[in-house]
Amino acid sequence: MHGNTLQGIRVLDFTWLLAGPYATRILADFGAEVIKVQSRKTATGTESNATGYFNTWNRNKLSITIDMTRPESKELVLSLVKISDVVIENFSPRVMANWGLSYETLKEVKPDLIMVSMSGMGQTGPWRDFVALGPTIQALSGITYLTSYSQGLPVGIGYSYADPLAGLIAALATLAALESRARTGQGQHIDISEYEVMCSLLGPTILDYSVNHNLAVPRGSTSEHMPASPHGCYKCLGDDKWCVIAVFTDEEWHALCQTMGDPAWAKQEKFSGLLRRLEHQEELDEFLGQWTSNYTPEEVMNMLQEAGVASGIVNNAADLANDPQLKSRGFFIQLHHPVLGNTNSDGTPIRLSRTPARYRWAAPLLGQDNRYVYQDLLGLIEEQFCQYIEKGIIS
Amino acid sequence: MAPEGKDTALLAGLRVLDLADEKACFCSKLLADMGAEVIKVERPGGDASRWIGPFWGNMAHPEKSLSFWYNNTSKLGITLCLESKEGQGIFLRLASKADVVVETFPPGYLRKIGLNYEVLSEKNPRLILASVTGFGQTEPYRKYKSCDVVASAVGGQMYVCGLPDYSPLKPYGQQSFYAASLFAAVGILIALRERNCSGRGQHIDISLQEAVAATLEHVMVRHFYEKVVPNRQGNLHWTNSACLLPCKDGYILVTFGREWETLVDLLDSEAMSADLKEEKWREEDYRRQHVDHVIEVLACWTRTHTTVELFELGQLMRFPWAPVSSPKDVFNSPQLRARNFFIPVDHPEASASFVYSGTPGKFSGSSWNIWRRAPLIGEHNTQVYGGELGFSLDELTRLSFTDVI
Repeated sequence: MHGNTLQGIRVLDFTWLLAGPYATRILADFGAEVIKVQSRKTATGTESNATGYFNTWNRNKLSITIDMTRPESKELVLSLVKISDVVIENFSPRVMANWGLSYETLKEVKPDLIMVSMSGMGQTGPWRDFVALGPTIQALSGITYLTSYSQGLPVGIGYSYADPLAGLIAALATLAALESRARTGQGQHIDISEYEVMCSLLGPTILDYSVNHNLAVPRGSTSEHMPASPHGCYKCLGDDKWCVIAVFTDEEWHALCQTMGDPAWAKQEKFSGLLRRLEHQEELDEFLGQWTSNYTPEEVMNMLQEAGVASGIVNNAADLANDPQLKSRGFFIQLHHPVLGNTNSDGTPIRLSRTPARYRWAAPLLGQDNRYVYQDLLGLIEEQFCQYIEKGIIS
Repeated sequence: MAPEGKDTALLAGLRVLDLADEKACFCSKLLADMGAEVIKVERPGGDASRWIGPFWGNMAHPEKSLSFWYNNTSKLGITLCLESKEGQGIFLRLASKADVVVETFPPGYLRKIGLNYEVLSEKNPRLILASVTGFGQTEPYRKYKSCDVVASAVGGQMYVCGLPDYSPLKPYGQQSFYAASLFAAVGILIALRERNCSGRGQHIDISLQEAVAATLEHVMVRHFYEKVVPNRQGNLHWTNSACLLPCKDGYILVTFGREWETLVDLLDSEAMSADLKEEKWREEDYRRQHVDHVIEVLACWTRTHTTVELFELGQLMRFPWAPVSSPKDVFNSPQLRARNFFIPVDHPEASASFVYSGTPGKFSGSSWNIWRRAPLIGEHNTQVYGGELGFSLDELTRLSFTDVI
């Protein structure tokens, strides 16, 4: 049982790009049998199996091939659905229906099926067919507008944050539906909208508009709605090296002053008390930045944390790979890939004490599990299997 | 009385004790909106997270925090002093009947007050304890303090956000708490599934730093595979094939990768394509290297249009374009409205119903819903202590006078 927490759950995985594969990676890390459905025609670009992206988001999964543009493929997929617990996809809302694989059809062959449809806008509504990538969703949700130094020049998040977060919501919804199925015997269709995922992560700000008609504005790296000062990002010794410091209480302010050697500027009346510091935030940041610029971010973090003040290094990718805490917790893992060799990636932040995640294998090669899935699981005999290959259906 | 539909909810019958502050109250909100019975256990006088703004009516008040309201929907609320021996005893009695405890204390605190995982699981072997902290339960940084800006920095998020010549920038709105809460909630449901077989609970250790580091998309992939250290580049996408451009009335996200030729034709039809029709610009690599010029020409064109015009035009051409929207735009979004994303929630004390962001998914056979507003301070003391634990009114009065509840 160890590590096979989700053993016995079979997931037929039609997802691609990031949001969907991120969801099924979580299930696969904890032992679900995730069968990734691919085809030679579509396994290109970031969906090409021996690439860093593919390998990162598809570890612990199986791969089968099927050409969905062939009419005969539908019956083969339906027979796979029959032996699966979950079908998950993140195509545009029309695609599954165009293949004749709507939830209504799938439910006929597998009445307690859980089908998860992930999309940018959701399966319904006037914008359902809109094209969206992570940055599109981030722009629409308000987080791009709100992530900036000042009003008027939106900056936004430097990567597709919305995708993994939508993947997390999809994994949560799948597990909740499984829990419900265990109790009631009923499956269901789940419609996840990435747009709604991001809007739900800005709940208090949207509520502020809803009840107060307040128009939220960007607040740089301040603490937003928890009064704190100083609070922000400060330049350190070295090229593009930065630290953050967050002071919420007077006790922490005194600890910060003491660590700095109680400089005269810090004793000024205008910096005594949180409210006065907030009022003179810019001047305070100037002084504090002069102090931090004498030290490396590691030095600032260690000095301040030892004194009881929240502080951190602004880690870049290389720093992160060598971060002492992440290293000691074994956050980054290594897996051997038959083409790529030894490969590194992030492990899961979900740390279960008794049945931890298991990193069993790197991402599969295209169709490497065809024989296992079609013959061992589905029971096709050799002759049938070969016919499907010859006809280009398993392809 | 359970609200209509709640007994058939996804997680009906699951009982959660929520000791979490702002770092993980969203975790138990997710479970509560899915129909679990979540009892928020606050210190007498109310949790400190009730002082996080914004506030209803713009006046700081522990019953008017919109952050608390949003992140604690569908929960019941009791007060309990965990620092007192009597309070600890009461908590153990509650924990013996619970499925899940969510907590965010500094590592070691629960041990200090005699409520660590070993103690709780001895009382209730089926109990799942989820701990969400800045750096996790283990050395060397376990004792270090964290908050959203620290998690964002040490998790690798800030370094890649912001302008190249400016300081790194924290994404808006306590995102590290949301990411960690989601990992915790997923972990809880995985542990529940395992418990169905083994009959035993376990301890889940979630670190804000790891939650951020696990949601960085391209950042670590490029580092591990291409030895690249991704930089900040403002609102220009890291592939150099998308950015935000100014319009008459705001900004629009524009992509110019695969859609290049159609896009140039569009500009040309308005006599604004400048030199972009030249053959060399058809090369995606060339465009990436000379992206400043591409942006300059495109911006001249976008400035002559409104965001809505370009949103419609772009989507008509199947471009993933979108206006940079404010919370007001979100609140008025025709898509969100058509899907009934917003949910009115009754606040009887205010004689009002307020409209909240709803849940990010729809289940065909169950409701994922906001069942009730966040609890008032100690609102369900009588119900939980009186009903559940069988305390008499006299006892309740005494516990309240001695500040245990």
